[in-house]
Amino acid sequence: MASEGEAMPAGGARGGLRTGARGGAARGRGIAYQIPRNTLALLMIAQVAVVLPYLLHLSPWLIAVGLFCGYWRSGVYQGRWDYPRRWVKAVLVAASIGGVALTGVSAFSLEAAASLLILAFALKLIEMKSRRDAYLVIFLGYFAIATLFLFDQSIAVAVYQIGALMLVTAALVGLNQLVTRVRPLESLRVSALLVLQALPLTVVLFLFFPRVAPLWSVPLPSSSVTGLSDRMKPGDVAELTRSDELAFRAVFAGEVPPKRALYWRGLTYSRFVEGTWSAAGLLPEWGTAERPAPAAGASGIDYEVLLEPTSSDWLFGLDLALPATPGVTLERDFRLTAPDPVLSVFRYRVTSYPDLGMDQAPRLPDRLRIRETWLPDDGDNPRVRAYARSLMSAAGGDAEALVAAVVAQIRSEPYFYTLSPPPLQDRNSIDEFWFQTRRGFCTHYAGALVFMLRAAGVPARMVGGYQGGEINPVTGHVMVRQYDAHAWVEYWLAGEGWRRVDPTAAVAPARIEEGLNAALSPEDRESLSALTAARFDGVGVFRDLLYWADSLEHRWNLWVIGYDTHLQADVLQDLLGEITPARVGLALLLAGGASLGAVALVLFWRRRSAPRHPVEGAFQDFCRRLAGAGWPRRPDEAPASYLRRLESGGVIGADQAGALVAEVDRLLYNPGAGWGRQDLRRLRSQLRRVRLRAALGARR
Amino acid sequence: MLGPRFGRWLDQRIPPAPSITLSQRNVFIFPTRTGFVFGGLLALLILAAINYQASLVYGVAFLLGSVFLVTILYTFRNLSGLTLELVGSRPGFVGEDVEISVRVVRPGERGRRRRGREGIQVGFPGGIMQWVELQRREADTVRLYVTGRRRGWLDPGRMLVETYYPLGLLRAWTWVDLDARALVYPKPLFADLPDLMYGRRDEGELVDPQGSEDFTDIKAYRPGDPIKHIIWRSYARGEELMVKRYASYMEPRLWLDLDQVQGGLEERLSRLTGMALTACRLEREFGLRLGGTELAPATGEAHLERVLRELALHGL
Repeated sequence: MASEGEAMPAGGARGGLRTGARGGAARGRGIAYQIPRNTLALLMIAQVAVVLPYLLHLSPWLIAVGLFCGYWRSGVYQGRWDYPRRWVKAVLVAASIGGVALTGVSAFSLEAAASLLILAFALKLIEMKSRRDAYLVIFLGYFAIATLFLFDQSIAVAVYQIGALMLVTAALVGLNQLVTRVRPLESLRVSALLVLQALPLTVVLFLFFPRVAPLWSVPLPSSSVTGLSDRMKPGDVAELTRSDELAFRAVFAGEVPPKRALYWRGLTYSRFVEGTWSAAGLLPEWGTAERPAPAAGASGIDYEVLLEPTSSDWLFGLDLALPATPGVTLERDFRLTAPDPVLSVFRYRVTSYPDLGMDQAPRLPDRLRIRETWLPDDGDNPRVRAYARSLMSAAGGDAEALVAAVVAQIRSEPYFYTLSPPPLQDRNSIDEFWFQTRRGFCTHYAGALVFMLRAAGVPARMVGGYQGGEINPVTGHVMVRQYDAHAWVEYWLAGEGWRRVDPTAAVAPARIEEGLNAALSPEDRESLSALTAARFDGVGVFRDLLYWADSLEHRWNLWVIGYDTHLQADVLQDLLGEITPARVGLALLLAGGASLGAVALVLFWRRRSAPRHPVEGAFQDFCRRLAGAGWPRRPDEAPASYLRRLESGGVIGADQAGALVAEVDRLLYNPGAGWGRQDLRRLRSQLRRVRLRAALGARR
Repeated sequence: MLGPRFGRWLDQRIPPAPSITLSQRNVFIFPTRTGFVFGGLLALLILAAINYQASLVYGVAFLLGSVFLVTILYTFRNLSGLTLELVGSRPGFVGEDVEISVRVVRPGERGRRRRGREGIQVGFPGGIMQWVELQRREADTVRLYVTGRRRGWLDPGRMLVETYYPLGLLRAWTWVDLDARALVYPKPLFADLPDLMYGRRDEGELVDPQGSEDFTDIKAYRPGDPIKHIIWRSYARGEELMVKRYASYMEPRLWLDLDQVQGGLEERLSRLTGMALTACRLEREFGLRLGGTELAPATGEAHLERVLRELALHGL
C-alpha cells in the first residue's frame, strides 16, 4: 500500500550533496522520496480553496472532479487507496478533456483554458509523488489563483485569494521543513507572515512597475458575460432585467443630470432579419465635415465611466458623447468603441454635449440612408407595413406626425408593459405583437416603431443601452445595473439630424421617470431575483450597507482595478513631477528598498543578542581574553574543567583554583544561592588576576 | 567539488578556524532551479496581465515577486548568526567512515518567542548531508561521516552548510573550514596468527590452550579438535574417541614488530593493525616496534589507540 511515510531517516530523504538531486526522488539512494505529510495535508486544503471560487464561472462537474481528486489523494494519504494506475490516469485525462469539449465552451475561450488548468491542477495532485511534482502542483495553484481574476476582480474575491495564496505558500513552506515533523500550523504562520510582509513591496511594485499596452490583441475572450448583445430578439432585454449585476459606474464632474435624461447609448441595431435585430453590417467612414464638433465655448457634461468587462468593444455614453480618452473612437453611428474588447474594468473619460446634433446635414449619405431604411422582403410583417404607410399618408409625409400617431396609439389602446411577454414567432413577429398580443417590453415597442418608420421610408434605427441609474449617496457616482438595460428609437429628420424617441415612455412613463421598479407589475416583481428585489425594496440599514459596499467596490475599481497606463501616468506625474525612466527606476528602487528594509528591520531586530546573566557575561569575557593569551576554552568544556585545565597549565595557582571553581560553580549553577554586586565584583577581580597572570606567562 | 581557484578565494574569504559564526560576510545566496521556474511563472503571469489588462493578475505577480524578495531575507536569516564549532573527531579504519562532530549553536535572541531555525543541513563533500535540529534547541551536535581512503590524517575539506528554507526557491549556503581532521588507521588484516605472537620459552604465566608443545592431559573428542591428536589406540580398543591435549607457555608480553611481518610497508602495517586489534581483544599485553619508535607493552583501549595512531602516522 502506498501510504505516505511518516518518519523518514533524515539526511537520506534529502538526497546527496548536490542541489541538482533535489529535483526528483533521492536518486540512487534506494529510498523513494516521499512528500512530507505536512505539505500534503496543506496542499489538499489549498486545492479546495483554490478550486471552489471557480464554481461561479466554470461548469460544476469540473469542480466536482477537482474535489474528487482531492478526496482520492486524501485516501492515498491515509493509506486506504492506492495511487491511480497508468491506464486510470490516461482514462481520467481523456475523459476530462472530452468533458471540457462537451461542456459547450468554445475551444479558444477563457473558460476552456481555465477548465484545463483546473483539471491539470486536480489530476496532478493525485499522481503527485516526487518533490518536483509537488512544486508543479503548487505552481499550478498559484496560476489558478491568478486566473480567477480574469473572471472576477472584486474586493471580496481579492481578499479570498490572498487567503488561498497563503495556503498554497504554506504547502510550499511545509515542503522545505524538516521531513520528520508535521506542523501545519507553523507552516501556515510562516507563510502568512511572508505574505503580509510582502504586501508593502507589492504596493510599491503595483504603483511603479511600468504598465504596458497589450502585446497582442487576441487574448482568449470569456464566452459568458451578462450584458447587452449585438443581436437582440424582443425578449432578450427582459431576461437581462433579472440580473442585478453592475454594468458600469459613472462619476460626474458636476451635477448628475436627471434620471429621465440618462440615456446611456451603446449600440445601434440596423438590421432586422427573422425577428432579430442585429448590429451587423459595416458602417461607412466619416465623411469630411461630418464629425460633430462642439461650438466654441460650449460646455459639456464631463464624466468618467468604469465599465465592467463585456468582452466586446462597445462603450456607453450620454448623447452626444465625445471621447476624451485616447484610443476610444467615435463611430459613424455616434457610438463609442474601445480599442480592444473590454476584458477587465475599463475606464474612459467622456464629454457629452446634449445639444449637439447627429447628422444635421440636409441629406443623409447614401450608404447610411440605405442602411437605416433597409427592411427584409415584403412578405415579412405585411400588416404593419401597410399600417405604417397608411399612417404616413394620413400624416402627410411628416415623420414627426407619424411618430406622434404611433405613440398616441400605444397610449390610447390597451398596450401593456411586462417583463414576461407572450413568445412570438420569428416571422411576422411585429404584426403579431402590434395587432394581437400587445404585451411587450421596451424592445418590442422600439422594434415596432423602427419597423414602421422604415416602412414609411424614414431612416430609423433601434438603439440599445441603459436608461437611468442609481446615485450612490456615499460617493455620489451613478451605478447602472443590468436591469437598467433599455432599447429606444432614433429617426432622422432632415436638418435636425437623429432624434431620440422612446415609445416605452408612452406605455410605461414610470420606467423612464423612476426606473424599472416603478413600472413593474406585482407578478413581474415576484420573478425578480432576491437580491434585485432587495435592492428595490431595501430599507434603512440594509440599503445603506449595499450603498456602502458599492462605494467601496467603486473606489477599488477606481484605484486598483482601473490602475492602467493612463492612471499610472497621472499618478506618477503627481508623485515624481516628471516621468523619465531614470526617475521611475529610482523611485522603484528607493520605495522597494525601504519596504524591504522595513521587513529586514523586523526580522533582524530581535536578533541582537539577549541580555546575559551577569556572571555568565563576566565568565565569557574572561574566556575570550584568555583565548587571546593562548588558552582557548574548548566548546565542550564546562567552566570547572576549564579552570582545572588552567590550573594544570600553571595559569592559576593551586591555592586559588579550588576557591575559584567553587565560586564560579556556585554563582552559575546554583540558582538558589543569591548573589549580589559584591559577589560579582569579587569574581571579576579574581578572574582579572588569573588573566594577568596568563598574559604574563604568555609573554615569557 | 570546489575548483582550486574558488578554493583559494574561499580560503581568503572564510579562513579556516575551529569556530565560525555565519554572517553576510560568509553566506552566499542564489535562486535554485525551482526559483528560476518560479521566475518563469511570474513572467507568464505578467504577460497574461498585460494582455488581459487585468490589474489583479499584475497584483498576484507582484505579490509573488515580493514574497520571493522577502524570502531572500528569510533564507539568509536562517543561517546568519549560527555558530559552527568543531567538537572533535573519531578515528576509523581505511575503507570505513570516520566521524566528525560539529556543534551548531543558535544565537540568543530577544523577544517573547524565540524563533528556531529550520531546514538546515550540513555535510562534507562526498558524505551525506545531515539535518540540524535547531527548532526547539539552542544547539545541536551533528555527527558527519567521511570515508577514510588512506591512512593518516584525513582532511575532509570544507563543510557545506546550506538551507532552502522557507520556500525552496533560494539556497543560502557557505563552505566553512573548521580545521577538522580525523585519523584514519590502516586497514586491519587478520591473517592466521603468526608464531611470533606466542613465546617459545617454557616460562611465563599464561597458558595458551591451543599451543602444541607440551602434553598436558586427555579429554573427550569434540568436533574441531585436531585429528592428529586423536588417540587412535584407545579408539581401536573400542573405547571412546579421546584426544591428547598439548599446551605451550606463552610469552605474556607481545611485541608487534614491523620487521617481523611480511609484505610491503602498507601490508605490514595492516597486519600489525590486525594483530593489535586481536591482542587487545584477547586482553594481551603488547608493545610496538616501528622502526625507531617503540611503545612499551601495555593493555587497554588507550594503549590500543596509541598503537593505532603510530601505525596510522608511520612514515607520513
